[in-house]
Amino acid sequence: MVDFLRDFIKVLRLSDVRVSSSETIDAMKASSLIGLEDKNLLKQSLSQSLAKSMREKEIFADCFDNFFKEDFMNIDNPSEEEIDEKTIFDEIHESQSNNDLESLFKTSDKTALMTSLANAASEVGLKDIKLFTQTGMFTRKILESMGLEKLNNDIFQASKEGKHNREEDLKEVRERIRLEIRDYVEHQLKLRTSESGKQIREDALSQVRLSQVDKSDFVLMTGIVRKMAKRLIALHSRKKRKANRGVLDIRSTLRVNQQYEGLLFKTLWKRKKVDRPKVIALCDVSGSVANVARFFLMFLYSLSEVLPNIRSFAFSNQAGEVTDLFGAKDIEGAAAETLILHGGGSTDYGQSLSDLEGFIENDIDRKTTLIILGDGRSNFGDPRTDILKSLHEKSKRIIFLNPEPKTLWGTGDSEMNRYAPYCHKAKACSSLSDLEKVVEDLLRYSF
Amino acid sequence: MAKAKLSSTKNSKKSIELIQSKFGSEGYICNNQIATAIFLSQNLHKPILVEGPPGVGKTELAKATAGWMNKSLIRLQCYEGLDEAKALYEWKYGKQLLYTQVLKDKLNDIISDTSGLESSIESLHNFDDIFFSDKFLEPRPLLKAVSDDEGAVLLIDEIDKSDDEFEAFLLEILSDYQVSIPEIGTIEGKVKPIVFLTSNNTREIGDALKRRCLHLYIPFPDAKLEEQIIASRVPDIEKNLKTELVNFVQNLRDLDLKKLPSVAETIDWAKSLVLLNVKSLDANLVRETLNVLLKFQSDIDAADSEIEAMIRKGNA
Repeated sequence: MVDFLRDFIKVLRLSDVRVSSSETIDAMKASSLIGLEDKNLLKQSLSQSLAKSMREKEIFADCFDNFFKEDFMNIDNPSEEEIDEKTIFDEIHESQSNNDLESLFKTSDKTALMTSLANAASEVGLKDIKLFTQTGMFTRKILESMGLEKLNNDIFQASKEGKHNREEDLKEVRERIRLEIRDYVEHQLKLRTSESGKQIREDALSQVRLSQVDKSDFVLMTGIVRKMAKRLIALHSRKKRKANRGVLDIRSTLRVNQQYEGLLFKTLWKRKKVDRPKVIALCDVSGSVANVARFFLMFLYSLSEVLPNIRSFAFSNQAGEVTDLFGAKDIEGAAAETLILHGGGSTDYGQSLSDLEGFIENDIDRKTTLIILGDGRSNFGDPRTDILKSLHEKSKRIIFLNPEPKTLWGTGDSEMNRYAPYCHKAKACSSLSDLEKVVEDLLRYSF
Repeated sequence: MAKAKLSSTKNSKKSIELIQSKFGSEGYICNNQIATAIFLSQNLHKPILVEGPPGVGKTELAKATAGWMNKSLIRLQCYEGLDEAKALYEWKYGKQLLYTQVLKDKLNDIISDTSGLESSIESLHNFDDIFFSDKFLEPRPLLKAVSDDEGAVLLIDEIDKSDDEFEAFLLEILSDYQVSIPEIGTIEGKVKPIVFLTSNNTREIGDALKRRCLHLYIPFPDAKLEEQIIASRVPDIEKNLKTELVNFVQNLRDLDLKKLPSVAETIDWAKSLVLLNVKSLDANLVRETLNVLLKFQSDIDAADSEIEAMIRKGNA
């Protein structure tokens, strides 16, 4: 039982459910308390001790149904006939030591066959299977471990003695067992790799340059952005308490000073809670960054979930505020609508910056961080660095994230080299993991 | 071994059914899942984190549990800014102040027969100091629950409304069922309390807290369960009205509303219909009483056009 739980929890972890060791212990206690007879009861109690949110519960239900589809429940049903489990295992062991695949198959005892199959599978290390190309190898290995050699010999013997019927008969047995094993291996492969494969792909995708991401990976990409945002929220949702001294806290002062006979020997002050300061984000959604814009927007959206005071703007030739849109729609809807409303035009950084200045004039102060996402290509229009300069003076800091590598800055119509001096940080930021790094940095050290 | 497994399943099934029937006698109709959670929590000594939409009976679950177990229910309502002094314990500093006054008067008696500074300090030191003792301790809900020797049912309501700091502070209580008071020591009761935490998911609960709890999600009940609940809570209601009403509410939950009607609201509605002496639903009546079920004008407007269709569907 410990074995199956361990395996099951491994599958859960691969499917993105976080299971800690203390939860594993809980699950074991729960299952030994509940027993294994009632599948539904087991499912409920495991779900209560392992899956701790709605999303995890859904994943859990899928995994459970998949995992316990066949083998486990079938193997564990000897109780009705009051057979001791041990004897079954002994029998199997005997039959295995005889290497008699034929009799094992022909006794039409499916349970014994499955058990023997499971044993052989664990013997050859099927749980390490990773790629579908390994299916054949593992099938063969299991077959061998279950006594293929003897069967082959029998077939050879039969053909030598000219017993064609028996030869055909045995060959059919071999074929059917092979198919059975192959099914089993494929099922196990599916169980163990469908999710870990996804993980490998996700890891790779977060490293890929944003402009190179294939359309077919968009859905997966959205998932990654979400996950990142969630991680950021988990890391940074704690309100930062700054030890700013506020007014005298009379209650606790009195309380502490009782030991000094009520003399105000030690004073306690109320602390001011300081929330995260303001962030203003400006995102380029013009044609030149079309490939990246979607991800920038998704990321902005996720940011707006992490940071309470964020105003978001999007622009191509003029800037418009999208904060409310982000608040009202879901991530994809908001990104799509922003692209329709503001995207597609030819870029004009000068105009957009002056628009932005108009929008945020009253809002920008020494606590404000301005994030600009864009390639800095302004179609040879006036870059209006003077606006950026004045924003630089008014704000706490300006961060410019450019999807182009640094070597391309300043080439063609790129004004990046003229903007960079007025930014506290100007970085090339081409993949999701870059973006995440920058934001984490932002949240951790800047305020 | 096979036998042992079998009997453990049968036993636990029996206890779960027993729990379910006991809840029934308290007027709380629950499904198998909830009973399983209570069973596990009793046996593994783990708190239960109950989540679900508002009004499905999360708080009621704790009350009913306290009811059939015959234990006292101690409730702690969480809110932003809730701190140790309000949740755990507080010193009665008025009394402590008086105590120091009394001590001052007695000071002469204590040190009268000593000579020299050193010996007077010595005798002061030997004097039994009760400044920080449980005489001056004002227990708040958490301390009360932990130190209750009979074992209590502790309900920490709407944990998501509290601060992160408070959540961290709960960890000791939830895993060891004990409270440390720096001036006194660790306080622990003879019987572990049964702890419920409820959350409406306004914010994500921390992993550390979740890890220490069993997690129970209570969704809206299905029609059959909801009828049972209504039957137990509003016994005067007529059978066909009950069916009509439950079907109507179930259909209402399929609409795209800001706030879906909860079980609590269904009960309220059933009560008001009984009060109005209604025999069966009709569109006008529903329109007039819809504000019992729906709490936003926009929701009422959205449902308005669907009322006739839903009544017809409910009757069919």
